[in-house]
Amino acid sequence: MGLGLAASLLFRRPETLLSAPFPQFFFSQIKYRGGEWDPNPQFVEAIIEELELRTSIDGSKERRITTLSDPDLFFYPFLYMAGKYEFEPFTQQEREILKQFLTFGGFLFAEDTMGAKGFGFDQSFRNEMKKILPNHELKRLLPDHSVYRSFYLIESIGGRQKVNPYLEGITIDNWTPVIYSQNDLSGAWSKDRFGKWVNECMPGGEPQRSSAFKAGINIIVYSFTSDYKKDLIHHPFIKRRQNL
Amino acid sequence: MNWTPVFPLWLIVILLCLGLAAVVVQYGLVRRRLGSSRAVMISLLRLGVILLLILFALNPSAIRRKEYKVSSPIAVLLDSSQSMGLPAGTRKGSRLEEAKALLLHGEKSLLKSLAERYEVRLYAVGDSMKALDGRELSSLKASERQVDLGEALKSLGREKSLAILLSDGNLNWEENGSSTLPLIAVPVGDTGDYKDILIKDIKAPGLAFRGREVLIHVTIKSYGYTGLTIPVLLKEGNRLLTAKNVTINKTSDEITLPLSFIPEELGSHHLSVSIPPQFGESLASNNSANLSIKVVKDKIRILMVSGNPSMNYRFMRMAFKNDPSIDLLSFVILRTPSGILNVPIQEQSLIPFPVETIFSKELNSFDLVIFDNFSYELYFKPDYLKAVRDFVREGGSFSMIGGPNLFDSYAGTPIEDLLPIRLTGKRDYHRDSPLEVRLSHAGTTHPITRLSPEEKENARLWQEMPPLDGVNSLEPKNSGTVLLESNERTSRPILSVGSFGKGRVLVLATDYSWKWYMGMVAKGKGNWAYLRLMERMVRWLTRDPSLDPVQITMPERAGAVGQEIGVRIKLRENDRSSHPKGTISLSVFNPDGLKQMSQLKTTGHSDEYVGSFFPEKEGTYKIKVDTEFGLLEEALTIAKHGEGLDGAPHPERLKMIAASTGGKFLTRGDDLLKEMESYVGGNRNRFIEERTLPIWSRWYALTIILFLLAMEWYLRRRWGMI
Repeated sequence: MGLGLAASLLFRRPETLLSAPFPQFFFSQIKYRGGEWDPNPQFVEAIIEELELRTSIDGSKERRITTLSDPDLFFYPFLYMAGKYEFEPFTQQEREILKQFLTFGGFLFAEDTMGAKGFGFDQSFRNEMKKILPNHELKRLLPDHSVYRSFYLIESIGGRQKVNPYLEGITIDNWTPVIYSQNDLSGAWSKDRFGKWVNECMPGGEPQRSSAFKAGINIIVYSFTSDYKKDLIHHPFIKRRQNL
Repeated sequence: MNWTPVFPLWLIVILLCLGLAAVVVQYGLVRRRLGSSRAVMISLLRLGVILLLILFALNPSAIRRKEYKVSSPIAVLLDSSQSMGLPAGTRKGSRLEEAKALLLHGEKSLLKSLAERYEVRLYAVGDSMKALDGRELSSLKASERQVDLGEALKSLGREKSLAILLSDGNLNWEENGSSTLPLIAVPVGDTGDYKDILIKDIKAPGLAFRGREVLIHVTIKSYGYTGLTIPVLLKEGNRLLTAKNVTINKTSDEITLPLSFIPEELGSHHLSVSIPPQFGESLASNNSANLSIKVVKDKIRILMVSGNPSMNYRFMRMAFKNDPSIDLLSFVILRTPSGILNVPIQEQSLIPFPVETIFSKELNSFDLVIFDNFSYELYFKPDYLKAVRDFVREGGSFSMIGGPNLFDSYAGTPIEDLLPIRLTGKRDYHRDSPLEVRLSHAGTTHPITRLSPEEKENARLWQEMPPLDGVNSLEPKNSGTVLLESNERTSRPILSVGSFGKGRVLVLATDYSWKWYMGMVAKGKGNWAYLRLMERMVRWLTRDPSLDPVQITMPERAGAVGQEIGVRIKLRENDRSSHPKGTISLSVFNPDGLKQMSQLKTTGHSDEYVGSFFPEKEGTYKIKVDTEFGLLEEALTIAKHGEGLDGAPHPERLKMIAASTGGKFLTRGDDLLKEMESYVGGNRNRFIEERTLPIWSRWYALTIILFLLAMEWYLRRRWGMI
């Protein structure tokens, strides 16, 4: 009976936790149809540990798996979507929900863990974004974007792989509700249950992994603070440090 | 004699002929029985009746004419405005006394001479026109604020044939062609001796923004001080705000001078512009003028300190940034002092929290301070909390937003004094099962939680709000007002408000209010409810007039002593449904603080009223409007006697007015009586009264007919015919 209880706790379905109240930060990962929706199942723990160690954000290591038809979707502070391969197109209803979510303050971080431009997940994701937000383009976020300075001052984005040294995003007014990476950040964050890195970071090795963690923390902090770092009071400090 | 037949003439002739024929036939018949003499007598009587009837058919009437002789009516108008109380010139006495002397004194006074020839009516013209008799003329004073001559002539109408005006020319005249009455203008006062400097006009905005320059344009006019340099002072009470020198280049010159200052304090400011009286000035009361300016916030400045990056911070920030009238300065504690930074400083975007600068120097530049899930202990000296308390006491606003970091550390600090809730000193944050909220009784009408004007719609809206995942368990204070509470058996305050000193305080005991935003978006109802709630929280806290239950609109032009002052009062639209009639009252207090008579009337609109009063003295009047939702107080400056008065005689103006009415301007050598001859002829007018007296309607006409018929009947009976 004791083993049974332990097993049920170890292998419990994350979906069963949805009715519980929400901690301040947690990943809500979209489970979509087709492709591979969960390429790095062990990415959460390390980034949450790093987040709690470096910042004042209280995070949960409990990942929530959700779908676009989930009625609680709008209460998830940080929607995460990853994949390697092409996936089935969203239904019109799903597109409408995601459009409403993103237009009115929701946040989505998506990553192509394969890093093949124009193929697989990248192709499907870009197509969907065009359909969901046709008037807003997914494009490179320039170096002065708040996401590069929300916690760390970042000049280049690391990851398991280094496809793009930058992030892409869709910006509506002064808020970027969609941030997209092809560097497989979650691959760089993934640790097995014995604490070993699951993936090697190529070609930059550990500095590239460290850069991936910084990018992850900046993206999470950005999702909570928006363009806070664009406030005038930050300008002289940031400029001085960039010139050091 | 006049004839107006009641029938056509031909019909009367036929009737006459028939009558005569009947008489002849009757004569023949009667003569056979009674003989000719008796027949003649009876026939004559009958003939008399017929002739009288024919005569009445011709309707004769008598005309009586009577001739009358009357004097021409003339009006003598005496200017009784304030400027007529000024010295007439080197001669002793005022201009009004000069005018009175002209009318009453001398061997044969002008008024007496006029009365001999004309029908004279004497009037004093001022704010209104008043008929005078001889005694009233002697006691007449120059106290009226202004004279509208056009209106006065119009009211005299066509009854008078001429008007004579005795004035110094300081009167209002708009030539509109409506006056048909010729005016003979008799000037009083001497232009040559008049010396004065006056503030003729002030142009200032009624509303100014704190910290922004206010520009006031002052128009100065002078008589007789050419070449003099004078100071113009702008003061608030005894405090000098600014001063400028101005040089008078030529007499009767008007100079417009800009004066500016930067208001630092909110509210109504009562200012004065003045010029020190100069030697030999005829009138000193027009050397100063008062004005009122209401200073409001340009932007609502908010200082927000957040204990950590959070959804609550992001959504509140979004709401504040969405409002162009809000200037937000926020600090988010991105890392705690125990946190480890693994990078050199040039790779960090963190900035030091300038606690010292903000809380000891800059605090008063903000309107609202928000602690959002912020625990002070690691960042603050307790002195800064004292500074926050003093800031609120002096009129600042303070808000605490809940979360796990909040409240436990504030027990026993100066912050505890000002909060509308009681602190337990324990960790009281719960993030267990989602908690629904409901409006309290006070919350149903409070401007913060009144998101919809309709009460039922508002209640429905709050019922639809999603439950909160994390709340701080608090206890209400008697001094506070709970607007939102948890929907459970023993309710807990979620949104509470209160006052401390001159400031306002709000506590929102949750870090999950952002769910009200996303929850309503998920239901397809948009984000307006959350944005409105945030906007109203800020505006209520900072006493923004747009949320005042009552709004008072002051008159555009400053009023003066004795004039009726009207103010427009409007109840806020959102309170209309719950505002019972008859719960609004108006009180007016004079500069001595004494309540004075005032009236409050309804207008055609249910939520609009007009208040009025007659100020009896100059100074600042307080106007208080009291409703069940609160009290609003405004102040109004009433100009003193003579303020803005241009007292110089203006004979050229009289000349122009006389010419435009077809009358004449009299110089001192002219003979008024002689001049009047050419307008009214000097003689008495004649008219004839003609009266028509109808004859047939007289009683004796009927009596004669009856008498003739009775005689005929009598003779016939006597002579045996009946």
